[in-house]
Amino acid sequence: MLRNQLEMLVALQDLDCMLREVEDVKALGFEVPGKVDLEKAREELARQISPPLLSTYERLRARYKRAIVPVKDNKCLGCFMRLPTSLGARGRKDEEVITCEGCGRILYWLD
Amino acid sequence: MERAELALFFREGLFLPDMKARTKEEALEELVDLFVREHLVRNRGIVLEMLHKREALGSTGIGKGVAIPHGRTLAAPDIVIAFGRSRQGIEYDAMDGKPVHLFFLVLAPPQDQSNKYLPVLGKLVEMLSEDENCQKLMQVESFQEFIDVVVGEK
Ligand SMILES: [Zn+2]
Repeated sequence: MLRNQLEMLVALQDLDCMLREVEDVKALGFEVPGKVDLEKAREELARQISPPLLSTYERLRARYKRAIVPVKDNKCLGCFMRLPTSLGARGRKDEEVITCEGCGRILYWLD
Repeated sequence: MERAELALFFREGLFLPDMKARTKEEALEELVDLFVREHLVRNRGIVLEMLHKREALGSTGIGKGVAIPHGRTLAAPDIVIAFGRSRQGIEYDAMDGKPVHLFFLVLAPPQDQSNKYLPVLGKLVEMLSEDENCQKLMQVESFQEFIDVVVGEK
């Protein structure tokens, strides 16, 4: 259940990255009419994510390019801080949203 | 970014003054194949898919016979630009509906440390918005002549 929410959040983040790129090239003079479709897809996806999780994401996004990052070898791939192994055990249970103690980014475990 | 710096992103192996392509699809393939031949891209399919997705959002044919297909891809280790020219012109579904003669394919890694991707695109757009430069690019015979036009020396 939570796993599914986090997966959707990662997809949302990918869309946000694409939208940012589109904004950037539009500013240079490229026309990107497909942007409205991307925005529509983003809206639909965002609607399926629980409001508190979404607002945490939006808050972090103002600060970081990537607000949700994977954990690999017990390290947050946002700030590369080593995380306590107990956090990994909790994270893998998929019962609560876990954020990095170092940078505050939302974490998900790949393994 | 200065035009002289822009010139550093081109290579002789990515210079194709006589494209054979007749369609948009073939044009993108012909240009990507230059990168493959130069060992700058290993996965041709990934790059083409990325370029098609980008075109689906809006044609990179910016008008006046110019197209600047572009995108970030894990398949590209660095920012590099290929130049292709089609004398007969290729239907590219450009903004002004005119066939495209001058192609600049820009590839960049997902995160370029130097942050040069957007400045490179911006400088290209600026250079190609001058008709005189486009006319000159239609005439160049060698890579060196091409670079001279990019640098902007008389
Ligand atoms: Zn962190």
